[in-house]
Amino acid sequence: MSASPPDRQILLVHSHYGAPPGLFALAEERGLGAVVRERDLTRAHFNRAFGLVTTSHLDQIGFLRWSEAVQALLDRGGRWFCNGHIVRELIPGLRAYVPIAQAKRADLVLTAIAEHPIFEGVERSSFEENRGVAGFYGRGHNPPPDGAAAITGVGPERLPLDWEWTLPSGGRMFSHAGNDMGGMGGPDPAHDKVAPRILDWTLGRLN
Amino acid sequence: MAILALNPGAYYHVESLEGPRYAGFFDRLVRPEELGDVDPARFDVLLVPCRTPADRMLPHADRLGAYLDGGGTIVATGESNSELWLPGVRFTPQPTNFWWWLTPGTDLGVRVAKPEHPLFSFLTEKDCTYHLHGWFDVPEGAEVLVVNEGRKPILYVDEVTTSGRMVITSLDPFYHHGSHFMPATTRFLDGFLPWVRRELDRGDGP
Repeated sequence: MSASPPDRQILLVHSHYGAPPGLFALAEERGLGAVVRERDLTRAHFNRAFGLVTTSHLDQIGFLRWSEAVQALLDRGGRWFCNGHIVRELIPGLRAYVPIAQAKRADLVLTAIAEHPIFEGVERSSFEENRGVAGFYGRGHNPPPDGAAAITGVGPERLPLDWEWTLPSGGRMFSHAGNDMGGMGGPDPAHDKVAPRILDWTLGRLN
Repeated sequence: MAILALNPGAYYHVESLEGPRYAGFFDRLVRPEELGDVDPARFDVLLVPCRTPADRMLPHADRLGAYLDGGGTIVATGESNSELWLPGVRFTPQPTNFWWWLTPGTDLGVRVAKPEHPLFSFLTEKDCTYHLHGWFDVPEGAEVLVVNEGRKPILYVDEVTTSGRMVITSLDPFYHHGSHFMPATTRFLDGFLPWVRRELDRGDGP
């Protein structure tokens, strides 16, 4: 971990109706970011933020209007942690989610393709099941842009369920094509390490 | 051919509403924010899918009420807090047991309350059984179609509160189908949407 300027903040986009997710509450509690209803976003929110977190409930049709603002955030070296199935080209290079058709248990095996600080000391396979049921972590992938690095693979073909993309500008995007990370709970106490690391990664403190 | 559906834009909405399996059931998709630009009276049915954020519906509550009073039909599926933006909806959430089916022989308790209703030419009890989010206190005269383990309504038709019709359920099939998870929810939509088309759409065109 390395220090980051104290003024770095995360923009946490709250899209669903109801209480924000636990990851967002953690960020606010630690003074690391501001939770903003997706309908209330302005360009100034993006201009002020170093990092961006979006959830699987993102209104992707509406969020297209912020494509340039997100690109500008990344172009100045910022970071975007993106949860969910991508169905719109939110920034150039993104392509639509590909589900695993009629997934069987073997199709849901998780493999660590590359080490990543978010997962240090946490077995990727530990996310495979909750109460013996597989598939909560993810059941498909967002096709990675050219140059992205696969982090976690799913199924025998190790499809890139998680990937990280370093843009030419130095900005980075982490894509998790499943239920929101850092909020899924689960039986393994090691999973508790993940949420604070997502925040640290989004602030540029983890590399 | 006059079904208007709202598209709130989350991936599960996009997959369910725009994906090839069901896209043909919706004559027009509009964003919740565009409701003020559309004359809903030109449509027989206005469908609000699961997990439509209530704060995007609340600004249109009066318009929806007027549409119902004009004889329109609103179909609202689960986890959209329809009690906040539709008249006469009273909802009580219940804890969701996602794991009931792991115990052999367990019965979630969902029951078809009116098997003779035309909906059940399209749907079976099993198609309505995956998990529960809550139940409704329905007005006198409403038609209860599916109930939970305590015989509380989870899918009903209300033609008494307004001059129109509301089809209300706490089931959230668009969310799960659009997430490519839970085959029962796809079976539900495979039956439910043809029923909406055949029984609720008068077919006189927008």
